[in-house]
Amino acid sequence: MNPNFYRTLRAPALWIGLLAVAVLPFVLPNYYLHIATLTLVYIALASAWNIVGGVAGQLSLAHSLFVGAGGMLASALLLKLGVNMWLGAILAAAASAALGAIIAWLDFRFRLGHLTFALITLAFAEMAEIVVIGWEFLGGASGLFLPKDTGQFSQMQFGGVQGAFWMMLSLAVVAIGANLVVLNAPLGYYLRSIRDNENAAQAIGVGLLGNKIKAMVISAVLTSFIGTAYARYLTFADPYLLASPVLTIEIVLFATVGGLGRAFGPALGALLLVPLGEVLRGKLGGVLPGLHYFIYGATVVAVIMLSPRGLLPLIQDLFSGKRKSATPTAPAKAH
Amino acid sequence: MDELLQALAQGLLVGSTYGMLALGMGLIYSVSGIVNFSHGDFVSLGMYLCFALFSAFALDPYVSLAITLPAMILIGALVYRYLIQPVAEAHSLMVVQLTLGIALALQNGILMIFGGQPHRVPSAVEAKLVMLGNVVMRMPHVVAFFASIALAVALFVILRSTDIGRAIRAVHQNARAAALMGVDVGRVKVLTFAVGIGLLAIAGALLAPGTPLMPSMGLRYTVITLLALVLGGMTNFLGIMLAGVVIGVSEALGMIYLSDTLGMLLPYAVFVLIVLFRPEGILGRSSA
Repeated sequence: MNPNFYRTLRAPALWIGLLAVAVLPFVLPNYYLHIATLTLVYIALASAWNIVGGVAGQLSLAHSLFVGAGGMLASALLLKLGVNMWLGAILAAAASAALGAIIAWLDFRFRLGHLTFALITLAFAEMAEIVVIGWEFLGGASGLFLPKDTGQFSQMQFGGVQGAFWMMLSLAVVAIGANLVVLNAPLGYYLRSIRDNENAAQAIGVGLLGNKIKAMVISAVLTSFIGTAYARYLTFADPYLLASPVLTIEIVLFATVGGLGRAFGPALGALLLVPLGEVLRGKLGGVLPGLHYFIYGATVVAVIMLSPRGLLPLIQDLFSGKRKSATPTAPAKAH
Repeated sequence: MDELLQALAQGLLVGSTYGMLALGMGLIYSVSGIVNFSHGDFVSLGMYLCFALFSAFALDPYVSLAITLPAMILIGALVYRYLIQPVAEAHSLMVVQLTLGIALALQNGILMIFGGQPHRVPSAVEAKLVMLGNVVMRMPHVVAFFASIALAVALFVILRSTDIGRAIRAVHQNARAAALMGVDVGRVKVLTFAVGIGLLAIAGALLAPGTPLMPSMGLRYTVITLLALVLGGMTNFLGIMLAGVVIGVSEALGMIYLSDTLGMLLPYAVFVLIVLFRPEGILGRSSA
């Protein structure tokens, strides 16, 4: 483990910040708490995606597959077969891990390039949406309504928006923590070497298949679990939200805006954009539907033009002046 | 038997338009090396421009091309020059995210202006049917088929035997050598992107009659275009046209012989298999 890891963990700002966020349910009114909860969901999703898309540099557009598996499969298991939602979440995570491993294996076996990988994963995401919408067991086009939230934690019920906030906060902490661990462990160095030059990495003895599978499985399991909790929080498993490729595009854009391949980058992107989008949607959603997505799209275009490494490196440079930042190098390297 | 012929005809007609969508992307890819994830949203922009002209002046979509074609060419040139080119040259891997951002902005810009309810753009020929034996074809599909073929041939001739076509092929083969021969590489790239987007204005006008317009349809067109592009071997223009037809036919066959869901899955399954086992495309990689 790189000493930076312990240095980050010992930083007082981190713990003070976390504590400040954790007490938000006592001060925020429910509407804003709901927005904060959604923000945490997307922070968690973007951070989980970052392990594959940022650290390993594999532009996966298939993550709606894992959110969909977590959300739709666990809900279907509960409603159709009476499986406890925690168990359902674990089963869905196992299914996501298997799917992720297959995608990583395909990538390795057929040596898909950067672009082909993006295309193939997008095709998988489209197929997943068609399957979910066409298959009654998973809810079909009308989705699945979950039983009312009565606050029984053993049934994965959070008892309203306060409990949900803490649940999502824990998931976001786990997802960011996983990024910190991966980045500072040998795995993170292997993944970054694969990202920067696959052939060179292999030549110095970095195993491609094993490391790609590890990254994808970690990311898929986290994403699936977040998907289950998200569906449970919304009490409605909506295939057009959870299994739609648009969700993946959102995640990718948040991560890009914040800064790919950094532990806190994707979280920053989601932290800036989700509250902005949700407040706009609340105020102007009736008049101008789609405004928040329009702003996401325009923001990512602007950020890529201004600072292709994302906003986090830009902010770090501003604050640290000339000091070299200790965080890993930018992923956006041209071949 | 009639059912099979009907499916084949339908697939051939619709598939040729897919081929043309992909031809635009293939042209851009072979010159600039970028894959445009907002391609389908430019198709829907073209279709919504037709709709706007129809609602304002009751123009037939085929007539409104006189306005939408130059407009889209201009938009394409501006988007490439001011948004994509600066990023493509410095950070080529970010182009995917950039074009995804453009896609999201376009799709929802359209949603904000036109609303989410489906719109129709009627054309004078919309209701006409063409009978060929027992096979029934809708007139807009037949028009789209012949227009796509004509455009593909025109593109081929332009690339083969005009100066600008030779410049495009030169940049495709070796940009540095082309620059040394006096070709303005940047200008050629802007021009091909503009032409590629211009093709989408034509595709939009051809697809608009009889298709309900939805702001969210762009992503589907993008994916179909990408399927045809990769199946066709990225830079092989004949292959791309053929791949469009393969996708159209497999979609039509799947819809008839399998369930709706399986039918919709079939083109993707064909795509995944071909990418894995024949990554150079159905005809192999070569340029026009």
